[in-house]
Amino acid sequence: MNQARAKVPLVLLLFLVVELTVLDRLRVFGAVPDVMLLLAVVAGIVGGPRVGALLGFASGIVLDLFLETPMGLSALIFCLVGYAVGSIQGGVLRAAWWIPIVTTFVASVAGVVFYALVATVVGQPHLVTTHLFVVAVVVGLFNALVAPFAIRLVRWSISDATGEKAFA
Amino acid sequence: MAVYRRSTRHRFLLVLLVLTSITVITVDVRGGGGGAMESIRRGARDAFAPVQSTADDVINPVSDFFGGLFRYGHLKAENSRLRRQLNDARGKVNASANSERERQELLALEKLSFADNLPAVAARVVATSPSNFQLTVEIDRGLPTGIQKGMPVVTGAGLVGRVIAVSQERATILLLTDPSFNVGIRLSGSGDVGVARGNGTRQPLPVDLVDVGTKVTGDEVVVTSGLQGSVFPPGVPVGKVRSAKVQPGSLQHEVSIDPLVDLTRLDFVKVLIWTPKDGGTP
Repeated sequence: MNQARAKVPLVLLLFLVVELTVLDRLRVFGAVPDVMLLLAVVAGIVGGPRVGALLGFASGIVLDLFLETPMGLSALIFCLVGYAVGSIQGGVLRAAWWIPIVTTFVASVAGVVFYALVATVVGQPHLVTTHLFVVAVVVGLFNALVAPFAIRLVRWSISDATGEKAFA
Repeated sequence: MAVYRRSTRHRFLLVLLVLTSITVITVDVRGGGGGAMESIRRGARDAFAPVQSTADDVINPVSDFFGGLFRYGHLKAENSRLRRQLNDARGKVNASANSERERQELLALEKLSFADNLPAVAARVVATSPSNFQLTVEIDRGLPTGIQKGMPVVTGAGLVGRVIAVSQERATILLLTDPSFNVGIRLSGSGDVGVARGNGTRQPLPVDLVDVGTKVTGDEVVVTSGLQGSVFPPGVPVGKVRSAKVQPGSLQHEVSIDPLVDLTRLDFVKVLIWTPKDGGTP
């Protein structure tokens, strides 16, 4: 149990370091991949709605520390995304190898668009533009591409945190 | 029954997390960016600064290697182009030395404060924004060097943006292409003023409030107006006019400008130690 508690923050930190140091150089059409959102999605896929919501909240709030958008905004979106993915995906994980990849793509695109919509409501100007769809697709494709690795990593990190085989 | 209980518990957790997020958002937005949230952010950024520097030391050689490998032809062409430009620039410097002296004398005569005599802090850009929803960069200088929120940031070519957050080790700069960025400008030819606003990365900046009667020429340089209450000192070059036209029946000139600075490839910048209150031009 103690070991598991240490593994989750470790994976969270790893994703954060990758996001803040490597990916900001890797712009495609001016869009940055968002692996913190990926973490929320994958947590939902691997661990179900509870783990999805918790890890989504944690990854969002950690990312918020390094943004200028209102604090807590990413946490709100990511925990909802993690929960939704967990609720939908929970039962059908072992169906086929490509299902988690497609889920990651769809959930990432939805997460980016949802973020822009909520941010607009909170008072961030001019986020819903044509560029938003470019961003959503780039984030979705990148996340889908690295989803298999992320799934393995997250499964390892929560392997004995939940203690329930039903979640794995 | 067990399944039902579990999903109720999950929903309770979700509601709890959502309410927590909304509370945090509200505190941050209502607090106007100050207070507890800001100090937490500052702490996190300072704590992360050494990690970032270490990661940069590891990643930079690798990415430079691959960058050089894949873009060899491009780099070679760029090198010869830059050499040509350097020669041109040397010639221009010689030619403008005299007019610069005259300008300085005039400025001294008029007792105006201009950007080039302001104290400044040089800094290196260490990271771009990790978000797709804000156009910012981080620099490796912070509070100890005198940088404060709101200070203008420039390069040799012109305006870059302004400081929107600052901690001990780092400062965050909002680029002038960010949609929430506004700057009062003056057309160098006619002297007419307007307001330029950011419109997203690699997009030209639309300029509002330019009078229909104003004559605007292509490639005309636009500088900060520095009118009273402006958040920028006067005379900092902002951009070049890209297009200008008057729609029939419109009450303003439709002008758009391109930034002078290549904001997608920033390396070194200067933060002007200037706040609106000590730069109060008449």
